[in-house]
Amino acid sequence: MNKAIRYWNPHLETLPRESLEKLQLTKFKRIFRWAYDKSRFHRALYQEAGLHPDDIRTMEDVRRVPKVEKSMMRTVQRKDPFPYGDALCVPLDEVTEFHQTSGTTGQPVYQPDTWQDWEWFSECWATLLWAQGYRPHDRVFLPFGYNVFVAFWTAHYACEKIGCEVVPGGVLDTQARILKIQEVRATAMMATPTYVLGMADAAQKKLSLNPASDLEVRRITCAGEPGALVPSTKRRMELAWGAKVFDHAGATEIGAWGFECEAQPGGLHVNEAMFLAEVEDLETGEPITEAGRPGKLVITALDRMAQPCVRFDAKDIVELSDEQCECGRSYRLLPRGVFGRADDITKVKGVLLAPSAIEDVVRSIPGFGNEYEVVVDKKGDIDHILLKVEILEQNTSAAKELEARLRTELRVKTNLGYDIEIHPYGSLPRYEVKARRFKDLRHKGDE
Amino acid sequence: MASRVKEMGQLAQDLYDQSESFPAVNRNTKRILASIEVLRMNLEQVSD
Repeated sequence: MNKAIRYWNPHLETLPRESLEKLQLTKFKRIFRWAYDKSRFHRALYQEAGLHPDDIRTMEDVRRVPKVEKSMMRTVQRKDPFPYGDALCVPLDEVTEFHQTSGTTGQPVYQPDTWQDWEWFSECWATLLWAQGYRPHDRVFLPFGYNVFVAFWTAHYACEKIGCEVVPGGVLDTQARILKIQEVRATAMMATPTYVLGMADAAQKKLSLNPASDLEVRRITCAGEPGALVPSTKRRMELAWGAKVFDHAGATEIGAWGFECEAQPGGLHVNEAMFLAEVEDLETGEPITEAGRPGKLVITALDRMAQPCVRFDAKDIVELSDEQCECGRSYRLLPRGVFGRADDITKVKGVLLAPSAIEDVVRSIPGFGNEYEVVVDKKGDIDHILLKVEILEQNTSAAKELEARLRTELRVKTNLGYDIEIHPYGSLPRYEVKARRFKDLRHKGDE
Repeated sequence: MASRVKEMGQLAQDLYDQSESFPAVNRNTKRILASIEVLRMNLEQVSD
């Protein structure tokens, strides 16, 4: 095999735009018909909109197809067949992989995949890893908890597909992971930007190791947070590790849809042979096709079959570019990648956090008042959440127990740890119009 | 290459159809069929 070949798929990655768009329309028609025929949920949704598969002929028709939101999937999954509900398009016997979303915005959404879906998901990852320079000689260390969250599972299989040697760094703690990277002389790694920086910090402070000179990791792929396309964060990571750092974008319900290539163009390519990415105006929902205008991403996974992802409202903020990347791919670029969320949900330590989830917990415990304040900031390079709550006067003697309960319930509900400050009742700010109880101070120096 | 992938698919499908009472062949062939489908996607041509 010629390892110098730049593209994992020289056919698809360099298709002329016109051919690529025809391929996308062909695939969209196919997945739409599949969902219509096999999923009661999708068929009802489309019938309500007066759409039949034969009605989809052009991209303008595609834009008439109703979007699907995560909240709809939660309703779907209360129905049979357990646990996926009636958006499932294959017999349960054909489902071979279970994963779920983090559940920080509500009830987790379960994601079924068949062998074919899993091969397809891995293929998307193989495309991006090859584009970032991964080759069979790489020894790739994966420092993530192999569990119900999809995270880097398919990256693992993509590495195998490419022919890399995969070192699973599952339940090891941070120091043990760093020592294992050193011991096996890993050449590449994947993690959230927060963890990449946290590992570098731990290596220096706790193990007296300089990752840039004492370790051999020269290629890092990030996911879960936008940091790898935030210039200052990318720079910090690359300096700390002496490695090239690349971004990628994906989601449990969608797949690995975007990637930064080795040319590091300051944005993400959309894998347009496997996904259709549309951008909509945030206010009006009108399609945006021109470059440089931020909007909301609506995305279709064109080949995912068990639980189709058709015009999924990803709530990611992106903008299109007309620039041709020097890598030669015809896949369109999204400058800055995903640079925001359409609602107030934010990512902390790689986990989606909705302020409303915190509010729900605080106000479910009778000993606390209604007011609270959340401050997300960096302690060094690590995200840190401070939660301030008020205790009702009659409960002050039980403050420790209440704090312990709050901490536990927050962990369960949001999958995150918090520093908690308990304040006397009446001491936190009161708001008359719009409250600002959630303060994210992490990016105040980036502008 | 696309035509050879199609042939592989037909061969694997034949094996699968014959292997209902032979789990080791049946399950491995089913998995091969999944991989062949991804091969097909990789070589898909534009339809007009």
